Amino acid sequence: MSQEIVDTVTKYLTPNIPIKQISQGAEAVVFTSSAHPYLPTPEHDADGKPLQYIIKYRPPKKYRHPIIDRQLTKHRTLSEARLLSKLFLIGGINVPKLIATDPYNGCLWLEFLGEDLPNNSGFSNLKNFLWANVNDPYNDVVKSTLIKVGEQIGLLHFNDFCHGDLTSSNIVLARDDTQSNDWKVFLIDFGLGSMSKLVEDKGVDLYVLERAIISTHSAFSDKYNEWIIEGFSNVYNKHGKGGETKLKEVLKRFSDVRMRGRKRTMIG
Amino acid sequence: MILPQFPDYEINVSLYENVQNAADIQSRVAELPYAFIDANMICSVEQLTAAIYRTLMESTYNRLRTKTLHSEVLLALSPTSNIGEAFKKFGVKSTSERLIVVQINENGSQKIDDSLVQGDSVEFKDENLQSYCDVDAIRKVYKLDKSFQSNNTSDLSRALVDAIQLRGL
Ligand SMILES: Nc1ncnc2c1ncn2[C@@H]1O[C@H](COP(=O)(O)O)[C@@H](O)[C@H]1O
Repeated sequence: MSQEIVDTVTKYLTPNIPIKQISQGAEAVVFTSSAHPYLPTPEHDADGKPLQYIIKYRPPKKYRHPIIDRQLTKHRTLSEARLLSKLFLIGGINVPKLIATDPYNGCLWLEFLGEDLPNNSGFSNLKNFLWANVNDPYNDVVKSTLIKVGEQIGLLHFNDFCHGDLTSSNIVLARDDTQSNDWKVFLIDFGLGSMSKLVEDKGVDLYVLERAIISTHSAFSDKYNEWIIEGFSNVYNKHGKGGETKLKEVLKRFSDVRMRGRKRTMIG
Repeated sequence: MILPQFPDYEINVSLYENVQNAADIQSRVAELPYAFIDANMICSVEQLTAAIYRTLMESTYNRLRTKTLHSEVLLALSPTSNIGEAFKKFGVKSTSERLIVVQINENGSQKIDDSLVQGDSVEFKDENLQSYCDVDAIRKVYKLDKSFQSNNTSDLSRALVDAIQLRGL
């Protein structure tokens, strides 16, 4: 981890906002903080634990011209923020709440989602959740969760949005309420997301997720991918003939994308 | 109240009900160092404090669009960048019975002058805002589509906070 990045962020967030780094990607560094940027009274979860917040920071890239770099960072920060705000307005889609947007410093504040899974199974993203169920891989909770995953992607695509990086780490599960075993499924990281009507973009989203499931959970991936597509199809099938036609188009392109992928791996 | 990212600014917020002298205040807004907001247009604490956060950010990065921090708060509440419209929609009206007064002081604290608003001072908190806010008027000003159903105040508020963060950007 780069101390320089932490120092830069601390400098403009001020030491009043404690930060803890949880991830570093090519594009962004993600921190958690116990501070809310503007609420006067602290927020608590259903168990009475104080909430924490996500700060997603896009550091300057030294190899770019500073002015171009600032414009790009502003553009990307705003693009992700706009997507999150548009998606929230669509009924049924679950994305993190946008708390603050600071385009001048390349910073987004988001609601923190998820929790630590029991038995040291890690953070509750889809990937870790499936590993945590490896001894009973086809149980009801796994099935209903994967159908809900498919429904989230279906809602996204049906409304002509694409994710752009649909891995099983970018799907986060949060408890519906503290009593039940059921999970609510959230899509996170819209850094590469876009509004798109193109079946190609949708086919690629589905393919990326299918590959992610196959590569990490290969023994069970057929069933898992089937459940995801079941949930995905449910959304389209609710919209009559028009929905069914659109569904066919997307699934057809999905299988074309898969074929192209196979060819590429056979040659390469 | 102090926002952690902007420790040099002291912020005071008061909420009044049964306001008697709204017309008088409205005629003097230009000379008074406060933002007077029609409380019916505010459904949650976060709606207002998100606008104050945005105001302080725009100020810090030299992007204020109006003359004072107080008028900028009114603009920050608005989903459009038309300043006149922001004042008209969110500012005190001669008929306002519920008012929010915001005072932002740079370097140093002051109190809101108690004698200014003739009315009952109540705590600035979600419960007191929710029960009276005009949901239809708010939805109209923020141009929320009918397809977006806000079944509770927290969903409505979230949509407003999004609009406040992204206005004009
Ligand atoms: N809203 C969130 N709630 C919880 N964890 C998050 C959130 N956003 C990002 N993360 C974590 O940070 C990592 C990188 O975020 P991102 O760069 O958005 O993909 C994710 O894989 C998550 O583990």
